[in-house]
Amino acid sequence: MTDAAISRSTRALLLLLAVELVVFGLFGRNFLTLGNAFEVVRASVELGLLALALTAVIATGGIDLSVGSLVGLCAVVFGWLAREAGLAVPIAAALAVLAGTLGGLLNGWLVTSLRVPPLIVTLGSYSLYRGLAEAATGGVANYTGFPDGFLSLGQGTLWGGIPTQLPLLLLAFLFFWALVHRSVIGRGLQAIGYAPEAARHAGVPVGARLRLVYVLSGSVAGVASLVYVARLGQAKADAGTGFELMAITAVVLGGTSIFGGHASVPGTLVGLFVLALLQNGLRLADQPAELAGVLTGMLLLLALVLSRERKPS
Amino acid sequence: MTRRALSLLLLVAAAACRGGGGGASSEGLTVALMPKNKGNPYFVSCRQGAEEAARELGVKLIWDGPTETDAAKQNEVVEAWITRGVNVIAVSVENREGLSTVLRKARGRGIKVLTFDADALPDARDFFVNQATPRGIAETLLEHTSRILGGKGEFAIVTASLTAANQNEWIKEIRELLASKYTGLKLVDIRPSDDDRKRAFDETQSLLKAYPNVKLVMAIASPAVPGAAEAVKQSGRNDVKVTGLGLPNDAKPYLKDGVLDSVVLWNTQDLGYLTLYAANALARGTLKSGATSFEAGRLKSLRVEGDNILLGTPFTFTKDNVDRFDF
Amino acid sequence: MISPRVPSPHGRSRELSLLAALAAILLVLGWKAPRFFAAANLADLATSVAPALVAAMGMTLVILARQIDISIGSQFAVCGVVLGLVAKLGLPVPLAAGSAILAGASLGAINGALVAGFGLPSIVVTLATMVAWREGLRWATEGTWVRGLPESFQWLGLGQKGGRLLIVATAAAVFALVAWGLVSLRAGRSVYATGSDAEAARLVGLRPRRVVFGVFVAMGALTGLAAVLTTLQFIDVQANAGVGLELRVIAAVVVGGVAISGGRGTSTGVLLGVLFLAVLGPALVFLGGKAHWDRALQGAIILLAVASEAARRRGAAHD
Repeated sequence: MTDAAISRSTRALLLLLAVELVVFGLFGRNFLTLGNAFEVVRASVELGLLALALTAVIATGGIDLSVGSLVGLCAVVFGWLAREAGLAVPIAAALAVLAGTLGGLLNGWLVTSLRVPPLIVTLGSYSLYRGLAEAATGGVANYTGFPDGFLSLGQGTLWGGIPTQLPLLLLAFLFFWALVHRSVIGRGLQAIGYAPEAARHAGVPVGARLRLVYVLSGSVAGVASLVYVARLGQAKADAGTGFELMAITAVVLGGTSIFGGHASVPGTLVGLFVLALLQNGLRLADQPAELAGVLTGMLLLLALVLSRERKPS
Repeated sequence: MTRRALSLLLLVAAAACRGGGGGASSEGLTVALMPKNKGNPYFVSCRQGAEEAARELGVKLIWDGPTETDAAKQNEVVEAWITRGVNVIAVSVENREGLSTVLRKARGRGIKVLTFDADALPDARDFFVNQATPRGIAETLLEHTSRILGGKGEFAIVTASLTAANQNEWIKEIRELLASKYTGLKLVDIRPSDDDRKRAFDETQSLLKAYPNVKLVMAIASPAVPGAAEAVKQSGRNDVKVTGLGLPNDAKPYLKDGVLDSVVLWNTQDLGYLTLYAANALARGTLKSGATSFEAGRLKSLRVEGDNILLGTPFTFTKDNVDRFDF
Repeated sequence: MISPRVPSPHGRSRELSLLAALAAILLVLGWKAPRFFAAANLADLATSVAPALVAAMGMTLVILARQIDISIGSQFAVCGVVLGLVAKLGLPVPLAAGSAILAGASLGAINGALVAGFGLPSIVVTLATMVAWREGLRWATEGTWVRGLPESFQWLGLGQKGGRLLIVATAAAVFALVAWGLVSLRAGRSVYATGSDAEAARLVGLRPRRVVFGVFVAMGALTGLAAVLTTLQFIDVQANAGVGLELRVIAAVVVGGVAISGGRGTSTGVLLGVLFLAVLGPALVFLGGKAHWDRALQGAIILLAVASEAARRRGAAHD
């Protein structure tokens, strides 16, 4: 997809966002209030982090199905370290992010050194990471009772009611935007997605770049798990279930091509909020949750049809 | 063209902003009811009772929640209801600590909060509509198990998912009772069904073959009961019986067959019905803390202990009484 | 024109390693838990594996054609409910089964039209349809199972023994048909051709878009059949069945050696992959494994299977 096409699709998305604001503003009670906006943002940060990192992965023509499971694994690692092993919260948090990084490293290694297709690697690690979380806790363990300071990361507000985790999302957005759109690395990523062999011949260190995006994906999953645990106040093996599919939906909706080669980090964020507002608006309009699911599927198809590229095959 | 359309829409949106506000409907009460999982037959039957009560009382009932058991989603739905503005929120809690924070916030905004089926932290809600304590459920299940096995023998459990909070609480109580009171019984294995009947069926088949001394399968999730019972039936093992927790309609054919000995539950429709009545009374101020009894329509008077409204004790469905019920 | 040889450039290495792994599990079982080999247990396993094998053959066609379908779990659920509802209307159960298969084929056709007709990426299309159909079904059924079905529903009225025989025989027939068709029919070989290089296939006169459309329809029909074979083992229909089916089936096909990049893979490999993963679950129960280790083990095995194959290929390439 050319850059013109991407900005076309981003414009279409912004239009859709505007339509949602109007429709739900009319039919959803208290939809267009600041309080509601903040709550929507608060609930979207974890998915947002995952989707941003996934954009870089998908730009290379790859995919990472294991991010949701990694959130679960990192959550129980954090919970155990902080509540059972008695470590200080910052240390436990750092180790949890390290666990995520290691998970990403494994994915990256399998993709680059053994050349196993990312879909298969992350299909396996999707089961493995969730499985490790379940095995470590017996499925039963549920760590709670975290200190208020930590919980405020997920539940607290900064001045004016801004959710505490929003700056984190903005930071991640700036980072990935700079990485993908303003750096040599980012150009390399999209080159890899578009034509891996040509990229290699042009001197792009393909292996290192791929490992980087998968490692980033894993680390970000670790960070997301901390926000999740802080928001819910509990760390359990089922944390993050289903997050990977929602994150992928946001990325594709945002205009990034699933084949790789052209990515849009801003598009991902817009796509994320289109989905979040859809769910939120329907709820406030007393519509059942299932309708949100059906509309999400249809929206995704519509986005695909409208922005389809003639992929040279 | 796009820019103009966009600005036009934003103008309309700004206009809608001023108009769409407001709290709950001023004509009548709005009660928002949330199960752990909208698709689970157990909660589907709670909804039926709740809708019956809503019709009787003239109350608007919003029924929503996660379509699959999802702790995070419950938080988001409650947040949305706080934003939307409802009179009462009644929820079956998947995530005790996490949901309690949001429920406290709701109470802070003047919304009444009830829990039913599974409780939050006591300071996060006004009342808990309690159908049976985890200890009571575990006791009843083990009583049946002991009776069927003659006080001594091996049994296995087929549960919901490995992380399901309610089931894990019952299993914890069961283990304690096995150690203290039912020492002749031995729990051999616990397999998950993930709320899927076929999975419960497959796991039971494996259990029967792997542990030939197991003479009882305890299925503690509503889709697991017909799955486990069908597996035992198809195995032809007349020496193995099934008991557990499930809905009478699912259990009926297997109770009649004899492969399912008994199924423990409570009237789930009544649970929903009672919850709605309690919600209504709470909102109107007729139900206050300190009450010792509560009148709920056709259920007449029910006991209130502290902040627990008690539906009753667990009820055992057998082939002799199951025809009286339809849920 | 197109060589009738089954394209598997690395010989039978995947099948052999799977056979070895399967043999290893069976040996361990024979030693530690010989009860596994009781006739009753093997019969149970065969009946349980049959629908999975049917679905896996469909997925094989899809992946060989360089596509993927992650919506089959939702298709399975819809087809099961269609089966129940049609049977409840009083129509003969075989007819109900036919409508369930037709429903599956229709859902597959929708996938196929979007992928082949619009040229959309199959992973995202089937992600969208997966969500839309499952939530749509939940909305329509509101969680209520289809109950009160006629006596002739379970086992098609043939009784347990006859019913199981029919289920296993059907699966075997489907396997044989697809396996034979892939190698001997022009349609089958064009699946391989399309998956290897769609443009080249088009240049030699094949119609890749038709092939792609066809494999999705076949996947849908076979998913419908799998739903029928599963649901007829019971007396009622669950409202929300088949959750996670796509992952299990894709794992079996990939472990069985079908390349995700299309164009490579054998039916024998898929059969072994399905058997291996089907045996693994119960084997763990027999060996006293605790349930909370299941998922980790499955994930580890998938990774080991694909990693070892990739490592071997790399090693061979370096020689």
